[in-house]
Amino acid sequence: MDRFELRRQDFSLDADQRAVREGFGDFFAKEVPSSLVRAAEPLGFDADLWSRLVAMGATTMGLPGSAGGDDATLVDLALVAEEAGRVVAPVPLVAHVVASRLLARAAGPAELLEAAATGERVVTLALQPSRGAARQLVPEAAVARDVVAFSPADGLVLHTVEEPAAHVPNQGSTPLAWFDPSAGEATPLASGAEAEGLFAGAAAEWKLLTAAALVGITDSCLQLAVEFAKSRRTLGVPIGSLQGIAHPLADIATGLHGARNLVWKAAWFADHEPGVRPELPLAAFDYAARTATEAAWFCAHAQGGLGFTVEADISLFFLRAKGWSVLAGDPGPGRQQIAAALLGAV
Amino acid sequence: MDFSAVPLTDEQRQFAREVSAFLDEVVTEEVHEHERRTGDGFHEGVHLALGSRGWLFPSWPVAEGGAGLDRVSQRILELELTRRGVPGITISTTSLVWSAVELFGDPGLAAELKPGVAAGRVRFCLGYSDPEGGSDIAAVHLRAVQDGDDWVLNGAKLWTTGAHNCQYTFLITRTDPEAPKHKGLTMFLVPLDSSGVEIQAIRTYGDERTNAVYYSDVHVCDRYRLGGVNEGWAVLRGPLDEEHNRSPSDGLDDVARLGRRYLRQFESALDAAARWAKRTTRSDGTLVAEEPAFLERLGRLVIEAEAALVTPGLMGRNKASLAYIAGIAELMDLVGPEALLTRGADGAIEDGVIEFAHRWAQGTATYGGTTEVFKNMIAQHLLGLPRLALAGDKAYIREGT
Repeated sequence: MDRFELRRQDFSLDADQRAVREGFGDFFAKEVPSSLVRAAEPLGFDADLWSRLVAMGATTMGLPGSAGGDDATLVDLALVAEEAGRVVAPVPLVAHVVASRLLARAAGPAELLEAAATGERVVTLALQPSRGAARQLVPEAAVARDVVAFSPADGLVLHTVEEPAAHVPNQGSTPLAWFDPSAGEATPLASGAEAEGLFAGAAAEWKLLTAAALVGITDSCLQLAVEFAKSRRTLGVPIGSLQGIAHPLADIATGLHGARNLVWKAAWFADHEPGVRPELPLAAFDYAARTATEAAWFCAHAQGGLGFTVEADISLFFLRAKGWSVLAGDPGPGRQQIAAALLGAV
Repeated sequence: MDFSAVPLTDEQRQFAREVSAFLDEVVTEEVHEHERRTGDGFHEGVHLALGSRGWLFPSWPVAEGGAGLDRVSQRILELELTRRGVPGITISTTSLVWSAVELFGDPGLAAELKPGVAAGRVRFCLGYSDPEGGSDIAAVHLRAVQDGDDWVLNGAKLWTTGAHNCQYTFLITRTDPEAPKHKGLTMFLVPLDSSGVEIQAIRTYGDERTNAVYYSDVHVCDRYRLGGVNEGWAVLRGPLDEEHNRSPSDGLDDVARLGRRYLRQFESALDAAARWAKRTTRSDGTLVAEEPAFLERLGRLVIEAEAALVTPGLMGRNKASLAYIAGIAELMDLVGPEALLTRGADGAIEDGVIEFAHRWAQGTATYGGTTEVFKNMIAQHLLGLPRLALAGDKAYIREGT
């Protein structure tokens, strides 16, 4: 690894990227008031919002042209995911987009791809390799009949059931469900090293786009806390003027901007030079998750007792900062992979 | 958005070879040994050699003592100087101060100094902090009193790094103790060979040398005043803002800017620890590189360094410093007692690079203003949080106070 290589460090968005960001940003801001997020609890799925998001092109943009998609880049998809995270939209966007792309790459059944593109069928991905018949919790599986799973023994397999599995109530109010690898119909998609590569790629995409969504959560937490800290007074001064409040918020802003840039950089490398920095999506996810965790607790805390009430909108973000990031499982293996990449490079 | 390797033209390729060959000759082991011994952040031979090529101010036209380099070539030069660890403190302070001299100095003085500055014979340091002032730069007690065509200076400054290798200091003085704190200040470019200037070394445990500079009845001609009398704050803000905000606009620069230099040391330590892990076995025969717990903890530090590298501006300065300080302490724990061995000791890891990085890290939270000052700026300017009115904000700075 050459740490002195002359590479561009250009994080600016071009006109198309800005249009994606603003278009989806406006959509989510208008369509997803906090009341809608609350109304969708505990399942965390608003079918009507989902169909309007589909109409915006969110489920086709990331698919290849050959599958009727628009070949959007991961940078574009990250911009959309951040806007979804900003309002904690109750839609299975990230898992669905990632699983659809995976199905397209693995030449999955054409009719399923079509139904996924139109949003009729929600598809999702088991994030841990399956071991025998052991069940695992799969994001969005309570609204998806189709789960793509990988196991070292069987390779990459599409599991289709008649009805989505039963929802399990959870802290983040997401459509989480137990996935049973022996249930339903199994369609093999790929085997051997190809299957492993496809799975690792999709898991990294899920982490990258979830990282983007967590950046959105962080930004909203920060804004809520800053607005509160400007107007709330104690001992005759706004609490935001006190360093005990201002400095942690400055740290969160620092984390936010770094996490967003790390997501964009990881997405750019995955789009343009795949294989050069394969550990970056894992790094982006780890950092975005920690930043969101810090932001959620402190920004709730900055509002004192009010921030601990269910009425406070910050509660929606606090519960999902972990509710979304923990779905990936223990951060340890990701960190080990990142260190292994350094050891391989020096 | 673009992170691609910058394609070089034939001329730029040729330039890179030229830089490399030139530095091979100039940046010898003696230069590094000198830096380790003195902690000066400066080597006169290298400084003059760079000046002779116009590489101290590489963007200036050749006719003005620069090298007329395009942006890509400037970056090639910067990266090569960094890769070789060329001491650069006085290079950067000289460049910072020059922008104020050019903007606010007497045109005759600027014209007289410019060739020497470009060639490296004339160098500037920063006379900012009073002994009691720290990051509160406007808390200036050092007095300047007009006496005919001269000003008479009395007082002291701390942290004037490079003063003993520079010809002038960019000095902030109090000229009107009756005016509000920020309004009675005047800037001077003070010749350091003036009678009454005394420079005393201060050593850090980051192996750096900085200075205390004492001014006793130092006479400086009015010609060396930069900007109007009592208008010094605006003159100082120019370079300060530049130091804080120089924002990359062409996508060629590191976004963390000031923080990048700190991260280089952290990266060197991380790389050394990674190599150490690959060649070191525990008493039970396990290779450290194969221990999940080691990898997991190291991975977390790598993530912090990656995040700091892409954190922009003022925030990047803070993130780099704080991630480095926390991370290097953890890295010391990870590596264990060998990490304590200093350069030259039996068993020292890569000349003690981790050990050094641990000590050097500590200054980074203070350079150019403490991390707390930067957090105040982030809170107020980026987040729009209200400024806390403190008694010292506008207090008058008078003798004996």
